[in-house]
Amino acid sequence: MAISRRYFLTGASVLALTGGALARSYRGSVPWSSKTARPPSPAGLHQTFFSAEERSVIVAMVDRLIPKDEFPSASEAGVVTFLEDQLAGPYGRGDIYYLQGPFQQGTESQGYQAEAPAILYRQAIADLETAIRKEGTDGFTALDAEAQDDFLTALSEGEQELEHVDAKTFFDRLWEDTQLGYFGDPVHGGNRDMVGWKMIGFPGARYDYRPYIDHNGKALDLPPVSVAGNYQREAN
Amino acid sequence: MRYLSLAQSLTRSSRRIRIAGLVALSACLFAAATHPALAQGTNDWSELQRGLYLSRVGDCAACHTADPEKPMAGKYALDTPFGTIWTANLTPDEETGLGEWSADDFWRAMNEGIRRDGAHLYPAFPYTHFTLISRADSDAIYAYLQSLEPISQDVMEPDFPFPLNIRFVLNGWNLINFEDRSFTPDPERSAAWNRGYYIAEGLGHCSMCHSPKNFTGAVKDGDAAYSGGMAEGWLAPALRPGSGGPGLSDWSKDDLMAFLRHGRNSRTAAFGPMAEVIDKSTRHLTDSDLDALATYILDLPESGEAPADSEAIDTDDPAMQTGALVYATQCSACHGPDGEGIPGQFARLKGSSLTQSSDPTTVVRLVLEGVRSVPTEKYPTPHAMPAFDWKLNDAEVAAVATYVRNAFGNSAPAVTADAVAEIREAQ
Repeated sequence: MAISRRYFLTGASVLALTGGALARSYRGSVPWSSKTARPPSPAGLHQTFFSAEERSVIVAMVDRLIPKDEFPSASEAGVVTFLEDQLAGPYGRGDIYYLQGPFQQGTESQGYQAEAPAILYRQAIADLETAIRKEGTDGFTALDAEAQDDFLTALSEGEQELEHVDAKTFFDRLWEDTQLGYFGDPVHGGNRDMVGWKMIGFPGARYDYRPYIDHNGKALDLPPVSVAGNYQREAN
Repeated sequence: MRYLSLAQSLTRSSRRIRIAGLVALSACLFAAATHPALAQGTNDWSELQRGLYLSRVGDCAACHTADPEKPMAGKYALDTPFGTIWTANLTPDEETGLGEWSADDFWRAMNEGIRRDGAHLYPAFPYTHFTLISRADSDAIYAYLQSLEPISQDVMEPDFPFPLNIRFVLNGWNLINFEDRSFTPDPERSAAWNRGYYIAEGLGHCSMCHSPKNFTGAVKDGDAAYSGGMAEGWLAPALRPGSGGPGLSDWSKDDLMAFLRHGRNSRTAAFGPMAEVIDKSTRHLTDSDLDALATYILDLPESGEAPADSEAIDTDDPAMQTGALVYATQCSACHGPDGEGIPGQFARLKGSSLTQSSDPTTVVRLVLEGVRSVPTEKYPTPHAMPAFDWKLNDAEVAAVATYVRNAFGNSAPAVTADAVAEIREAQ
């Protein structure tokens, strides 16, 4: 592109005008003041991404992926809250992906090849509900546990296709996100009361493990701690 | 600047003129040596340097430079228990500063706390300490201030309530709290001690922060002196053992000198108002003055008042249990599992006088707000302690404060959640 004289002058004057305003010079040391760092913002219950129907389908699915035993199920541990919060934010928008055309068939080694996760989730739920209803059942939630497991297995093995999105891509995302919600820091809405960490004996976001360097793989038996502190306090 | 311009001309002129200049210079030097009036004129470079140095010893800039672009132009809002007072413009501006002041006027302000117009200065200006300094030192500071760029900056009257807004009442205050003193060396003591006394009690005005104050806002002396006081909402810790805590009883002179020079030593790092004092004042002290100051401070007599309750709280105490968990998960990475810190980097809590101060305000504020050490030549990269106010509730802050004050062999009174709530509120 040839740069016209007018174009150049406009650009130069904009630079000249803003350059002065943006410049800061510090001598000695960079100024510091207390409490200016932004703490992690806890996931709020107010943020909703799913409709009531979508939510019930997601609850049913994640509770098959991590069902209740002596530990709570995925939804009881706040995984759906976690998913809502994530899908309503930068993760859902796919902010970390390049999402412009031209669109070509990518390879597996090129990483995530689908739409923004929010679109993927919403479309996949609609498609799988349609597919199940075609078989004469009233949606995923109406299936019994065994049928739900069969359906999810079929999704995960690419045997059950979805009309608009790649079924396996959706299943892999859902499975990964469910684990993130169950074992991630409670500050993000899931892992309520650090149940995921209590299950596997992970002591959480402690700053200092030097006293345990020589523990040689033995269980630590330390109460878990969240990034947001939380000493036996309720999450949220 | 007479000599300076002569020197400049020497480098520029021809050899012949240079020789003539040398002759003139020696004549000047001779005149200066034989005429005290010439040597002490306000244009004397070494006198100005001495004044600058003394102004740093006195940390004038701490209060009189509110805006770094306007050095010594005052208008720094000083919060006192009685209201806000704005500091004076010390630049030689004729309308708003000290432009009209003579060396005598300046001396009267330093020595008696009386303004050029005869009105009393509020004792937020430490004339109660400055009264000790010599006339020669006062004149040097005066000469330095007069050499500054005049800056026009009007300063408001303090917003004190009646009757404190009537400066005349300060006659009464002075009657109770002020004694016009001058410095007489104690022949029983070393020269270093005497110099240290002159610096600490005079220009340095250390006890303005490190001693408690009476109900009129005056520094307490006697047994209470240097037992710790409040400064800008921080506790200025006790400097000698007694009711305020262990003070500096186990600090070596090297510890104290390193602290005042570099802002850090093997046991701690300066922060808050003291970091500012080090930055603007003590790091500039000459080696001998620093040595003298440390000699005097570490020789302060043990306070006659009984030390605070020294029974350590039992580790079975619920607060100690919670505190130990909070400490292990939030604090120990820097301060060490056993409170030993990292010399020259992170403060040692084990045996720390600040940690064990009777008044826990500073410990609690540190946990709530975090803090940054002062960058100095030796340690140009300051470390910061993060704020924990967003992740620890009042009970947890109280527990961890109680824990660090009673673990590692420390002992100090427990901190209550209510006290933490109050300090959190005050921020």
